[in-house]
Amino acid sequence: MSETTNFTPGTVLVLVGTKRGLFLLSSRDRKRWEVNATELPGRRTYYATLDQRSGHRMFAADNGDFFGTFLRYSDDFGQTWHDPEQGIQFSEESGQKLENIWVIEPGRANEPGTLYAGIDPANLWVSTDNGVHWSLNESLANHQTRDRWNPGAGGLCLHTIVVDPSNSQRMWVGISAVGCMRTDDGGQNWVFLNKNVRASFQPDIYPEFGQCLHRMIQHPTQPDVLYQQNHCGIYKSVNAGDDWIDIQHNLPSEFGFPIALDPHNPDTVFVIVENDARNNVSEQFNVYRTKNGGEQWEALSEGLPAGQGVRLGVLRHGMCSDTLDPCGIYVGTNTGQVFASADRGDSWHIIADFLPSVYSVKAVVIE
Amino acid sequence: MDLPADTPCALVILPHALREKVDNRASVRVCGQNVREIIAALEHDYPGLGFNLCYETGELRQYVNIFVDRENTRYLQGLDTPVRDGATIHILQSVAGG
Repeated sequence: MSETTNFTPGTVLVLVGTKRGLFLLSSRDRKRWEVNATELPGRRTYYATLDQRSGHRMFAADNGDFFGTFLRYSDDFGQTWHDPEQGIQFSEESGQKLENIWVIEPGRANEPGTLYAGIDPANLWVSTDNGVHWSLNESLANHQTRDRWNPGAGGLCLHTIVVDPSNSQRMWVGISAVGCMRTDDGGQNWVFLNKNVRASFQPDIYPEFGQCLHRMIQHPTQPDVLYQQNHCGIYKSVNAGDDWIDIQHNLPSEFGFPIALDPHNPDTVFVIVENDARNNVSEQFNVYRTKNGGEQWEALSEGLPAGQGVRLGVLRHGMCSDTLDPCGIYVGTNTGQVFASADRGDSWHIIADFLPSVYSVKAVVIE
Repeated sequence: MDLPADTPCALVILPHALREKVDNRASVRVCGQNVREIIAALEHDYPGLGFNLCYETGELRQYVNIFVDRENTRYLQGLDTPVRDGATIHILQSVAGG
């Protein structure tokens, strides 16, 4: 990868975390793509991101099969990796064991150096020095209801972190299977925000918490508008999560993992829904799009595969958008393909194949 | 690490995945009365290595096996398995796959 370690500004880079390593897909025109492996061979990489607020520092969730789970960072696009001086590791007295790191998110633009990480068992870790030292959010760790939190199929994982760009004290997290939580005081207190969200697998389908939120995203210019793909439906909130509106409407299934939006047309939202076997609902693998905030959904299929042998699954971090206009959409499958659209989902092309099972895609435009 | 003069010392043979942590060597010599102390000695000499072997709670990771003189310590006394002077200790990952 030697000639591609310095990506020129404007290059679209898609970080693809897989069951066996982290790969980089790069393109100058979103037509021709180059695929490169990073130096995390064989590692279960649940998520990776590139923080460009002060340089180009890449972070990856390296979830080892045998010898532990580590957050690592790289300043040369994944050719060499470094361990934090104080990584994500519980104290012995806590009795807790780090299972997997699920997500790593840069903080606000005006707080360079601050990053957040979500893990299993569901906890939030914070760094204020570009990922060199990490500390546990004690309030969430000691939440009074924690002993009643239950895991989803993927574990008790904090997989989604949404930082409010307009309010330095506010952020949301998504936990499976606990639901949505928010802090309004910089992480000192956390409240549940699951009103009107179904938990159909429980006797009480509208509990205070226990919902299986799969992925949550925020409107780029209206911070109180949130969308979530849930185990039991697709929802929108217009009041910062205080309550949620079911926007499943004509979608053929309530179940799916990923959700993304067009940052230039934020009422345009993309989801992928699945059948009970966790595959495409019909023989056509579709991405679904709404252009009106969930009032109506359309199936997008041009360039996507179909047939009796097409059984694709997409995990919670397996779809994302880029920041260009028209926006690009990227979808990574559990069978190792990455599909991309450069026209807001109207048409699709396969840009990588034969990868290990894809856990996450994250698109960035090199600055 | 201050240890009594009669503390037994052992040759610890490491798997490929961990050799980067010990200056790319295949084995190192450390001292300790039992496996727990051997791990503590490894952590002392190579900071961070202990977390590769044990969870934060101090328990041995699920898919890490430690053999003392070819005996799997899971079937002996676990981390309390005594170590004799001159012992050979293998650290191995579990077999994965079919």
